[in-house]
Amino acid sequence: MPEEQNNKISIQFITCPTCAGNGKTGKGSACKNCSGTGVIAIYAGRFYYSNLLISAPAIKLRHLKKSLNFILNLSEYIIGLAGLLALAYWVYAASEKTQTLEAFSFWRAKSPLILIFWIGLLADMFVIYRLSEEEAARQKITKPKYNQTAEYDSPNNWSEFNKIKSKYKVEVSGGFSPAALNAVEQAFALANRARHSQVRPIHLFFNLLKDEGAAAIFSRLNIDAVKLIAKLKNQLLAIEAGTEPTELSAEIKEIFFEGYIGALNSGQKKVEPAHFILPILVRDKNLSELLYDLEIDHDKINNVIQWFIISQRLMDNYRLYRKASRFKPSSTMDRAYTAVATPILNHFAYDLTLAAKWGRLELCVGRVDEIKEIFQALESGKNGVLLSGPAGVGKNMIIGQIARAMVEEDVPKMLRDKRLLELDITRLLSGASAAKAEERLLVIIDEVVRAGNIVLYINNIENLMGITAGEEESLELSEVLASAISRHNIICLASVSRDNYVKYIENKPLGDVMAKVEILEPDNNLAIQMLESKIGFYEAKFKVYFTYASIAKAVELSAKYIYDKFLPAKAVDILEAIAVKVSEAKGINSLVGVEDVAEIISQKTKIPLTKITEKESEILLNLEEKIHSRMIGQDEAVEMVAASLRRARAELREEKRPIASFLFLGPTGVGKTELAKTVAEIYFGDEDYMVRIDMSEYQRGESLEKMIGSPEGVLGYLTEAVRKSPFSLILLDELEKAHPDILNLFLQVMDDGRLTDGVGRTINFTNCIIIATSNIGAVYIQDQIKAGAPLNSIKESLINDQLNKYLRPELINRFDGVIVFKPLELKEVESIAELMLNKVKRLLEAKGIGLKYGKEAVEKLASLGFDPKFGARPLRRLIQEKIENEIANKVLADGLKRRDTIVIDGQARVSVEKGRKL
Amino acid sequence: MPTNSFIFYSLQILTELIRDVLYFPVWWYSRGLVNSAKSLLNFLADKQKALGLLIWIKNIFRPMYAQYDWQGMLISFFMRLVQIIFRSLILLFWLVFSLAVIIFWILFPIFVIYEIIFQFL
Repeated sequence: MPEEQNNKISIQFITCPTCAGNGKTGKGSACKNCSGTGVIAIYAGRFYYSNLLISAPAIKLRHLKKSLNFILNLSEYIIGLAGLLALAYWVYAASEKTQTLEAFSFWRAKSPLILIFWIGLLADMFVIYRLSEEEAARQKITKPKYNQTAEYDSPNNWSEFNKIKSKYKVEVSGGFSPAALNAVEQAFALANRARHSQVRPIHLFFNLLKDEGAAAIFSRLNIDAVKLIAKLKNQLLAIEAGTEPTELSAEIKEIFFEGYIGALNSGQKKVEPAHFILPILVRDKNLSELLYDLEIDHDKINNVIQWFIISQRLMDNYRLYRKASRFKPSSTMDRAYTAVATPILNHFAYDLTLAAKWGRLELCVGRVDEIKEIFQALESGKNGVLLSGPAGVGKNMIIGQIARAMVEEDVPKMLRDKRLLELDITRLLSGASAAKAEERLLVIIDEVVRAGNIVLYINNIENLMGITAGEEESLELSEVLASAISRHNIICLASVSRDNYVKYIENKPLGDVMAKVEILEPDNNLAIQMLESKIGFYEAKFKVYFTYASIAKAVELSAKYIYDKFLPAKAVDILEAIAVKVSEAKGINSLVGVEDVAEIISQKTKIPLTKITEKESEILLNLEEKIHSRMIGQDEAVEMVAASLRRARAELREEKRPIASFLFLGPTGVGKTELAKTVAEIYFGDEDYMVRIDMSEYQRGESLEKMIGSPEGVLGYLTEAVRKSPFSLILLDELEKAHPDILNLFLQVMDDGRLTDGVGRTINFTNCIIIATSNIGAVYIQDQIKAGAPLNSIKESLINDQLNKYLRPELINRFDGVIVFKPLELKEVESIAELMLNKVKRLLEAKGIGLKYGKEAVEKLASLGFDPKFGARPLRRLIQEKIENEIANKVLADGLKRRDTIVIDGQARVSVEKGRKL
Repeated sequence: MPTNSFIFYSLQILTELIRDVLYFPVWWYSRGLVNSAKSLLNFLADKQKALGLLIWIKNIFRPMYAQYDWQGMLISFFMRLVQIIFRSLILLFWLVFSLAVIIFWILFPIFVIYEIIFQFL
């Protein structure tokens, strides 16, 4: 299906130079040069033209002709029916009179009734004639045969075009469905009524919305039709009216050709109105902008059109398939009765061709190239094909498709009249020793060889590897299979995940005898189309309806945020979960929206919902304010962090690196950790989205294992945390204390955004914010600040003189920003004290107890707790000791009750004001 | 401006209608006959495929059920022969049926015309 999208590029249009594509010269007669054709298209060695006559009388007469035809048909039917009734009445009348059969020989009778009957028969024949002529005249889209292209490239003038053999010329309007023709006529009528001199794409588009099929596309896209029509009306009103008669513009003709070719390429039998949508949007920029405002673009429309094509093809295929599958035997025998019964194999295998014959296998979308590659490998003499690809990309679906093709016998000769059996390895191995399993496999291979009509399929073939009977280094199971394949005794297909291929199969006998076919993860568009083929099933099962946007979102988000699984399986999982949830929560017949998808993805991946729904832009714009509501002072640091995050969110960052990485420098207690926590809360929605690592615990080289895990299965602290919640803030406390080897890890993380853990999994860090803190140069900072040096120069000399003693320059360089925190001043400590008291107040309020304090109390506490060396940390301790402990004592001793108020006076002493009695 | 003329078109439609009626007998013995012959051939091919007659003939010397000993080969040969004769008979029946349909197609209009004339004799 992807090729259908690419084809459009190569259509070439030629406009008649004499009439500029109008098909008419000045006086309204047909252009001499092009005999009224106006525009032709050249595509894939064929010439497309249209002789559809669109003018007011032409349309009227076409309708007249239609109704005349209808009258004629109706009278034929009536005469035919009357003939039969006449015969029936004659027979009835004859039976009244006589008892002998002789009397019923109506062909010898003379009667007006019998005359009517014979004339009726003539009418019946006429009906047959009309029907079959109509069928023949209704020219469908004719697919050019392979290699049937004209030798000439493009004609230079029209006389040359006229000379081209008619078999290379295609008249497009013959392929239009009645609905498409109707839309075109309506478009003309609309332009004519509005006195527009040309029928433009927008006229056609406006009328497409009235068509059921095209409207269905827009309703799947969840577009408000009323709004769209209103906007279109405005656009239509903007076109100037004139006095000249209305005619088709050259653009419209190009749209006809492109619509036709689009329908041709997607294997349709008729050009439906929906096929005009994309060509119209290409030509009318205003219109595509208008749809862009409604968040609809080319890909979305194309995917929905494909959706309809897919569901139609599902039905068509089913019908064709039923017809073809009648000939496939439903027993284990082939059609020539040369096969041998395979009782043991049947016990261990599942018959895929039989399942396909009864329609139990799902439809496979796309994957044409891969299947072709498999067939080619078989035809080129390999007897084994190995499908290698990540789990969930649809390897089994491809095998299912092969089974369907085998049922239709649309396969290479070596697969014809054969059965495809999936060998169930778990069954083969269960309850058996290695020797027993090997014996079973040998018997099965013998049976397959003798039967001669069996193709084996082994899912997850790596399970066969490494099972040996007897001594070490004796023959293993897979080698038994490999030798059978290499002797061309059996045909075997198998699948293996990519990791396991490298681990178990590559460079082993089995890997050598089998051709490897790589099955890649589909791109988003193909994955959407794959999902569309399954949607019908889920809609019927759970009684909910999906908009196109929800499907696309499911694919997009799962591609973006779920790393350890692959498309389309991971999106299918999501869709199923959504369908279940929505049908439970909203009831049946409800619509699945984009927000439902976001919610499920957020639940499954632990990614903050705000990240997915993109409601955060507001938060980001006022980031400084938000941070300062939790944090006091450090304006420079806050500004720098905020600017970085905004940059990251606007996607102006490199996608391959973490969102941002900072190194916070400064003395203890000035708010480094607090800022990190605040960022986690604001950016990810909760403080919990933070992985805190004390680097002092990683002072020795051996602790590397603790950080990233080991091949023996020890899980790394860092890698596991990030794997489970890829959206998180990683706080590396006291960075300089870690062993240099461990610091080297972060070189890669900050550069590539990924890390390979001990087990060999690649962990994605591109959605992390990394913040490292350090006390290096704390004293130096304090001294310089006291001496009044500007912050910038302090930073310079810190990096140049102090940091490089502990950290390697390349590591320092990789941080997006090195941020120096100033020591706190008394004023800031006062604000912090107030913040802390507020926190206590909130806690007390939950118990119904009030807290009162004046400005003096705050000042007193701040001055008591302030220590330039330790920042705000002593204050925390002070409030614990002086306030919280006191309150705790009072609660225990006096029996503090609800409605009581605690008062902190100017000397920071705590007393209780009793509340009023109720 | 002949292309836009109403009368021109009405005439065209009328001639088309007349042509339609006149063409009917010609069609019956030309394209109609070919069409029905084609669909009967498809029908026969379908029946052949369902019976698997060609497959049976092609494999007449191959033993059934992969019994490659001489007894097996001998029994197979006769078994297949019986099958082929039996299946040929069925196919022959369908062939006769198809021929009858074609003959009916050819004779039917003549017969009907005769009967109509007969009414007036």
